[in-house]
Order: sequence, then structure tokens, then C-alpha cells
Amino acid sequence: MKSENQTNENRFAENYYYHLYVVVEHLDGKLIPVSLEMLGEARRIMDNFNSRYNSNEKVVAVVLGNNIKELCEELIFYGADVVIYAEDQSLEYPVNLIDTKVVSQIARDNACVSKFSPEYSESFKKPRYMFFSADSIGRHLSATVLAELESGLASDINKLVIEDLEIKHEHKTKGQLIKYEKILEMYRPDFSGFLWTTILCLDNRHPANLREYHPQACSIIPGVFAPLRRDPARDGAIIKFNAKIEDADRIVKIVSRQVIESSVDFDSHKTVVSFGRGIKDAPEANIRSLVQLAKEMDAEVGISLPISKRAYPVSDAIASLYMIPDRVIGTSGRKIAPALYLATGISGAVQHIEGMKEAGFVIAINVDTDSPIKDECDIFIKGRMEDVLPALIEQLKTQKQILEVSET
Amino acid sequence: MEIAESMVAELNVAVLVKLEPDFSEGSVSYNSDGTLNRAETKSILGPHSAIASAAAFYAKVMYGAKISIATMGPQVADLALRQAQLISDADSLHLYSDRIFAGADTLATAEVLKAGIIKMGDKSRIDIVFSGHRASDGETGQTGPQTAWKLGYPFLGNVISYDIDLRERLVRAKRLITLRGTPDIIEELIAPLPVFITIDPSYKYVLNTVSLRLASSKYQREAQIRVRSYKDYLKVFNAQQLGVEPNLVGLQGSPTIVYKVEKIPRAKPNRRTELVDGSDLVQLGRVAEKIHEVVRRRRDS
Repeated sequence: MKSENQTNENRFAENYYYHLYVVVEHLDGKLIPVSLEMLGEARRIMDNFNSRYNSNEKVVAVVLGNNIKELCEELIFYGADVVIYAEDQSLEYPVNLIDTKVVSQIARDNACVSKFSPEYSESFKKPRYMFFSADSIGRHLSATVLAELESGLASDINKLVIEDLEIKHEHKTKGQLIKYEKILEMYRPDFSGFLWTTILCLDNRHPANLREYHPQACSIIPGVFAPLRRDPARDGAIIKFNAKIEDADRIVKIVSRQVIESSVDFDSHKTVVSFGRGIKDAPEANIRSLVQLAKEMDAEVGISLPISKRAYPVSDAIASLYMIPDRVIGTSGRKIAPALYLATGISGAVQHIEGMKEAGFVIAINVDTDSPIKDECDIFIKGRMEDVLPALIEQLKTQKQILEVSET
Repeated sequence: MEIAESMVAELNVAVLVKLEPDFSEGSVSYNSDGTLNRAETKSILGPHSAIASAAAFYAKVMYGAKISIATMGPQVADLALRQAQLISDADSLHLYSDRIFAGADTLATAEVLKAGIIKMGDKSRIDIVFSGHRASDGETGQTGPQTAWKLGYPFLGNVISYDIDLRERLVRAKRLITLRGTPDIIEELIAPLPVFITIDPSYKYVLNTVSLRLASSKYQREAQIRVRSYKDYLKVFNAQQLGVEPNLVGLQGSPTIVYKVEKIPRAKPNRRTELVDGSDLVQLGRVAEKIHEVVRRRRDS
């Protein structure tokens, strides 16, 4: 039962905001993985949107750079209906200031829209939805673009749903139950990894404070969504956008770039051992045992996210070598796929599981049989690190001797 | 040398900080389901805010910068200001506190912080605004860049070191770019002042000369004295004093809402888990065998 008033308001919003814009990233002529992951998810939710609501709205990839024509085709192959690209020498590498200007221009541009969906060219104000990557480029770019577009943004999303929702909210609806259509439900795991918060970006329908908030935007955690299989038969429109760039937009200059090879090597080691908060009763001793275990197994050492925050009293030598962001396994760090993964004192928050679930064989050492890691391992050793690690190292040494004898 | 030069032109620095749950072991308390027990967990200056304060202190030692620290929050948030003053030897502390600020999302928070920075620079413009990488509880990392954009300051993120050319009014900064699936990159940037900088967690400053180290300990001693009477340095502003529009701050000014909070459902077990008693050496021996088997298989392949 909709009141006439509601229906009008819905139509009002309907008339200005269309399409899902995905701001993709690339490096040295290649799209980075999260770009393809975002397109995959965009395609999936817009296919659903197209069949439920309206078949005219599209997945629009937005890409900035210099000499990037070839990338545009790839974006179509990976799921975009339309690619809008801007080229300029000063867009070669990401710089927040100029990128924000250009992406915001694109998000407001009718002329581009008229080329791929003429039916909306008159009315288009801004995209309905926008995706960015939650990495060191996209996180900040999403924030500044949405500040410019004056709309809402949720960060670090790992699940998305579009639905009509009945909302009753003191500020948004003055406590009335109002139906909002085509709302993007943005799920983000919190810092603990155990709670999921759903964020919505909603127009204010409060009569004293009417305001439209579009696009509904989010940044997406890299490594979460699956890209589509590349399909060179896919067709789409590629549109060049002539950005208006002023000298004032170029005042931040990159003078040098240096690629840093990590000293942490999860890829060529086929075994990885890691530790988490379970070290807490004897951090220094536990880490030392774990490092010894890693040596026995020829393994690289990983950590869970809380460890990188260095909240434990250990020597500088240990902290600077092991409690570093480079070693974090999970959505805030690396995604690994070793033949064998051994997690000690890690409870298994979703962010961590995302980073290790591709491992071949998984062993967990933990005191708590209720911890989520138990469902993600092949062998669960119940016990304290202090007790299990030294015993396991002994067993490994004994076995090794037996093996060496039998081999000779 | 550097200190003498700093007399040429003054440098006004602001740091935006946040009071956050103390996640360090011994202070933090978790519920049995793994979620944070907020009632039992104390609050402190957030660790990233502390690093941003240290970055501002570097500007004081190197360039004689004047430092103002600001935060938005209830009265108790002055604890964060006090702790940041101890790190940075701040010359003024600003608390933006009003009931109508409560429940703000990042955009509505940025609106208040922008108004605060403009107010702060009433007589002389703020040249650099520092903020932390992200809050340990909210973890969005959006408030800094959104404040920068509203201020019209170029934004430099993930900064791991910086220096100022006072004559040219330029900042030269290094930033760390981490993108999944690619090696890390360190970039060097130049930008004219004013700028907004978020400090990377790996930031560390180095004081190369004896005179700088002496200046540093002088300011540190001064900071210890100042925090004893930190209230003398503290100014509290409400919405009206900041001149913010009530419609743009707090819950009213937030485009986003939290629709629901739920426990993340446990995925269906992906593996058939064998339970081993960690005190049973025979069982551990079999685990060791299994480990050797996997390691050997790798060597053979």
C-alpha cells in the first residue's frame, strides 16, 4: 500500500540516477586483479537488476590513464557493457587530486550517457551505484569522489545485494515506514571479523531535511569476488571522455617511483606457518618456537592482522622481523595457496580465512575447539602453543631422522 | 642550520586524532563470541593518531611548526588530545563537541572537521593537516580524505616520510602504495602547501644531527610540562561556534545508515576435520609424518 506521496518521491529519484559505474585500477599496462573482481560482481548484480527492474541500466567501467585503449577492450571482455576512459599524460599514475576531478566529471557527464543510453541523456545527473577498490588508491579516491558528489560511501565491502526495503528511521523518514527501491545493501565485516554490518546509503525523506544521496557507493575488498571468465566475444561500447584538466589540478607531481620486492616470500615456499593472538601468554617464547618449527618445515612465516599492530611485549628483533604488515595473511594482507598451511593461535576470523582457504592441507593448533578455524582445517590439534609447538618440533626431528635412515 | 631557516617563515600544522578502544593485549576485552567487549575495554588515543602526532612533532623539531590537535567527540575525548599533546608538544588543543554531532558517518564527520580546521586557521592558514591511516574501530580510512576534499587541500595518503621546503612552501613526501597482486611501490611526490597528509603506519622520522636531537628533547620536556595543565591549552567548540549547518552534521547529515548488524554466519565446513589431542605424542607423531609427506611430495615434484 503506497501512498501517492511516496510513489512521487520514488519517481523523483528514478529520474536522475542510472547505471553502475565501476572505477577500475591498472598498473604498468595491466588491469590489477581487483578491477576484474569488481567487474565480475558488478555483472552478477546488474544481470539480476536487469531481469528484476529494468533492462536498460548498464555496468559502466571507468578508467583513467595514458595510452590505455587496449585496456578498455579487456574491460568489456570481463563484464563491462560500457567503458568510459580518459587519457592524459598527468593521468598516467594515480594522483588523488586530478583523479578525483576527472572521475567526478565523468560521474556527472550527460554527453557520455547519451552515447550508450540516449533514453537517459536528458535526465541523467549521477550514477545510481558506484564501486571502487578498497586498496591504497581506491580507498582514498572513493572518499574524495563521494565528498565531491556529496553522497554516501561504505568501505571494505565483501557482500552486495540490491533490494527494495521498507525503512523506518528517525532522521531518514521521520519515523514513518517508507519503501525505498533498488537499494544497495553493502555488507562489511568489522575489525574483529565476527560481525557483519550492513550499510545503506539512503535519500533523506524527512520533510524538514529532504536530500538525495546518489550514487550509493562502496569500496570493495580485493580478493573477495570472483572475476568472470574472459570472453573475447563480448561486445560493448568504448567511449573517450575529454576531461577538463586545469593547471591547478596538476600541482601534485610524482618525481620518482620505485618498486619494492617484498622480503617475505609466500609464493616459492610451499609451506607456511603462522601465528595469531594465541601467543599472548608467552609472546617471545612462542614466536621463537614457531620460527623454529618454520625452519624444520622449510616454511615462510605468516601472521594474523592483530599481530601486525604490535600489541605484544616482544623484543625489537622479533617484532621488526615478524610483526609486520607484509606477513599478514587475509583480506588486509596476502592471499596464499601453499601446499601446507599451519595456523597456530589463530581463531579464524573471516578476513583471515579469505587469505588461506586455497591452501592444500591445513593444520590448526588452538585451545578452543569452537573457534571458526576448526571448520577450515584438515587436522585440528587441541592444545596451547606453549605445549604443542615444542612437542611437534621434537616429533618432526625424530621423523626426519627415521626418514633419512630409511632413504640411505 | 634547519632550525635557523625555520625562522624564515612559520608553519602551522594541525593533527586530527581519535579516541579509540585500546586493542593492546591486557587492555582489550573480547566477548566469548570473539566480538569486542566495549564496556570492559578502555579508550585511548588511537595508534594511528599517535603516529600522526609524531609526524607533526617532526615538523616542530625541524621547522619550529606550531601544532594544533583536534578531535570530534564527547568531553571524554579530551583524553586523546592530552595524549597527542604529550607526543607532539602541541600548542593548542581543540575539541569539537556537540550532541548534534553524534552518530555521524564519515561525510558528516568531515564536515565538522573541515569547519574546525578553517576556524583554527582564522588568523593564519593551516599549512599541513595530518591524520592517521585509519581508526582501529571504524577502519574506513575515509574521514581524512573527505576532510581534505572539503577543505580544498590536495590529499596525500600513506605517507611514510616527508620534508618541507619553507622558502618554496613545498612538501616533498614519500608514500607507500600496496595493491593486491602487485609488488609494493614507493613514490616520491611534490606538492605546494597547503596539503592534507595521512600518515602510513610504517612512518618513522630520523633526526640526523645533534642539534635536532637536542631540540627534540627540549620539546619533549616542554610537552611533559604542558600536559600537566592541558586544560589551559584546550578550547571546546559546539556546532554554533564552528558555524556548521546542522543539516550537514551528525545523523542528520549522514548519507549512510547502519541497517543491521549480525554475526557473520559460519560457512559450511570446507574440510573434514580430524581432531588431535595436543598432549598425545603418538597422535602428534602422526601429524609430523603427514607434514613430512607433504614437504617431500613438494621436493619430488
